[in-house]
Amino acid sequence: MAGEAARPGEAGDAIGGVIPRAVHAPASVAEAAEVLRSAAAARQRLAFLGGGTDLGTGAAPAALDAVVRTARLARIVEYAPSDQIVVAEAGVTLAALQAALGRERQRLALDPPWPERATLGGVVAANAYGALRTRYGSVRDLLIGATLVRAEGTVVKSGGKVVKNVAGFDVARLMVGSLGTLAMVAVANFRVHPLPEVVETVVVPGLAPGAVWGLVRALRGARLEPAATAALGAVARLDLGVRFEGFEKGVRDQAARAVEIAAAAGHDPVRGEAAAAFWGRHDARRRAGPVRLRVQAVPAALEAVARAALAPLEALLADAGVVWYPALGTGFVSGAPAAPAELAGAVAGARRALAAAGGTLTVAAAPADLAPAPDPWGPQPPAFALMRALKERFDPERRLAPGRFVGGL
Amino acid sequence: MLAERIAEIVGRDHCITDAAELETYSCDGLTHRRVRPAVVALPATTEEVAAVVLAAREAGVPIVPRGSGTGLSGGALPVEGCVLVGLSRMNRILEVDLENGRARVQPGVTNLSVTAAVAASGWYYAPDPSSQSVCSIGGNVAENSGGAHCLKYGFTVNHVLSARVVLDGGEVVEIGGPSLDPVGYDLLAPLVGSEGMFGIVTEVTLRLLRKPEATRTFLAVFPSTTEAGNAVSGIIGAGILPAAIEMMDALAIQAAKAATGLAWPDEGAILLMDADGPAAEAEDTAARAVEIARAAGATLVRLPADDAERDLMWKGRKCAFAAVGRISPSYLVEDGVIPRSEIARVLAEIAAMAGAAGLRVANVFHAGDGNLHPLVLYDERIPGQLQAAEKLGADILALCVRCGGSITGEHGVGNEKAQAMSLMFSADDLDAMSAVRCAFDPALRFNPGKVFPTPRLCGETPGPYRPHPAELAGQAERW
Repeated sequence: MAGEAARPGEAGDAIGGVIPRAVHAPASVAEAAEVLRSAAAARQRLAFLGGGTDLGTGAAPAALDAVVRTARLARIVEYAPSDQIVVAEAGVTLAALQAALGRERQRLALDPPWPERATLGGVVAANAYGALRTRYGSVRDLLIGATLVRAEGTVVKSGGKVVKNVAGFDVARLMVGSLGTLAMVAVANFRVHPLPEVVETVVVPGLAPGAVWGLVRALRGARLEPAATAALGAVARLDLGVRFEGFEKGVRDQAARAVEIAAAAGHDPVRGEAAAAFWGRHDARRRAGPVRLRVQAVPAALEAVARAALAPLEALLADAGVVWYPALGTGFVSGAPAAPAELAGAVAGARRALAAAGGTLTVAAAPADLAPAPDPWGPQPPAFALMRALKERFDPERRLAPGRFVGGL
Repeated sequence: MLAERIAEIVGRDHCITDAAELETYSCDGLTHRRVRPAVVALPATTEEVAAVVLAAREAGVPIVPRGSGTGLSGGALPVEGCVLVGLSRMNRILEVDLENGRARVQPGVTNLSVTAAVAASGWYYAPDPSSQSVCSIGGNVAENSGGAHCLKYGFTVNHVLSARVVLDGGEVVEIGGPSLDPVGYDLLAPLVGSEGMFGIVTEVTLRLLRKPEATRTFLAVFPSTTEAGNAVSGIIGAGILPAAIEMMDALAIQAAKAATGLAWPDEGAILLMDADGPAAEAEDTAARAVEIARAAGATLVRLPADDAERDLMWKGRKCAFAAVGRISPSYLVEDGVIPRSEIARVLAEIAAMAGAAGLRVANVFHAGDGNLHPLVLYDERIPGQLQAAEKLGADILALCVRCGGSITGEHGVGNEKAQAMSLMFSADDLDAMSAVRCAFDPALRFNPGKVFPTPRLCGETPGPYRPHPAELAGQAERW
């Protein structure tokens, strides 16, 4: 085997409580390919591990012979500031990437929690995101290509290094959210954006869910364009944070107009330092656990979603809280299990309520000893047969994180 | 036989078998390649599409889907003996939900009519290919269409939330969903841009956007594409994200003037830029960009006095392809992408290559994202010129790839560029793409002869399946 020899797996290498027999840490794409080729020959079951920030997502793998850690795949391969693209290996942490881009006053417009730990490969595999999704979209909107290592060890490229490119089918984007069950993401190519000159946040405290939606709708109606919008707190009493980014004039003008709109609706908006502190609270809540549920619905259904899905879950959690991205219709409920026996049932109930709003719920984190354990994925999606066919084409021997994905894939 | 069966499904009036009528469907916007389909079916519902697919499957013939037929890469080029399924009758907007910013439409709806349906309420559909008044949403989904404004707003793939697809078995599957992050693999990502090779899309849910509060447009004239290219780099480098930034070279300017009567000066290059957003932001951004353009050597900067003048400026840009017909009997439209910073160097090289080939090339392009549209002018009455033009086009694409770019930014690979895929992708890369296609369409029923440089088979799943010892021991199940 090329590179560093495998070491035995330990508790810290476990995925879903399954400790692998061996751990590999390839230092190049070629070494990663060699690891996968050898594993294929030995018919070993593998999983890929970056910073481990989203390991609570998905089911426990059926079995693991080895884990491939991406920590040593830590090179920024190519960065062209004038073309606003970056190509970096899977183990580069988001913080390390942002530091390199920041020197050119640019950034990757993705801000999931734990940037010091979260790796690019992991962010792609888990479809991780933060508040900037409001304006810039998610991983699939910023990923322009990738180098993958397929189950049998073949290195393939998809997409490219230019923002605009429709050559061939998009295999790179297909990896987004696939939890390493189709192939290993070894290198990711991203579009990057300029860092804003000025940032200002307006916070509107103490809103009911209906008022949050009403205000977001009013800002939209006024054609303001926030870079990030998030509601934070208890379901019944949310603080809405609206962040504007860009050049000085536009940002100050929009913040002032947002304050006017909120005040006219009878709320008490806050600007300045007090408002800027909102994002620290937001980040803390995004990291909160040990139960963390990821929720999606059509945005206008917020009031119904809050009543029928978010509030019943919150009621079963201690230190509970919600982060909701109202413009997107996505968010998280988190806390400690206060009524562990009822949680799995409440998750199923919330899924039924969300389905009425075109929504879904997945478990992003839950303690291993929670009994009964909540179903991590919920019902199979309508296109499940196609998903299974895809898994069979990419991993016919079912060796990549077997059983971790939807429907046992 | 098959035609009879299809006539039963879609009605005799919507089943075309007459040779002269079939000729209409023998090509798309890539008009110099033609194959007459065996029969054309024009279904009106998803059920009819599914029935036609099953009939073709029983007869063992390929299916070629077609929207408005405006594609420029031969993505809707028929193959011998195929059933061509035209989606033009499925042209209804099924539902508009402005609260959630979504519209559910049939594939034959034209791109611009989506915007037209919601414009009065202050909304629009962002992707805006130049052919938007005639091209269909189904075609946009097939080719992952872009347009002048996709630098800021993204491509079709960024604006489709879900799609209903008829697969080879006649099954109808809903992919994606009304909310973000539907559970499971992101099948929409490869479906958008699958060039009609996965199935037939019969309904699409699109994301709509609020129309920006203000748009500030300006036109800047430069002595040559070098200064204009420097202006683009300067604008982007200053942290400005233009809604659109378009460049035309001297020959393209000449053509646009001939077609529109615009009083543009005869100079080396024109930049047309849109800054949009909240009024204060659009105003400030445009002012900064104008300053950068002047510093980069703009000899003239013109701000439109009103919307009518702005529309006219954009008309000059959007009609540029067709306008080239005024200055040349025929032309090929190319579509390549280069890193933005290489614009000046690549344009110089294209000019040298054109000179060596004895041909003229007009350049119209999306400068912000390096998406070039070299228009290779030729005269088909001169023996050998079409071949020379095709060769020059292929050489230009190879140049784009050598610079780290792509063989297509928005027109798709289709039939035209299938061979050029080998410039960008290895056999292994193409195998991965083929694996996705095989998951959707293992019989390779849909739109054969596109995208891949050599024919591919799906066969059984790659590699023989051998049960894992744990399965044999009853410790694990396969699925």
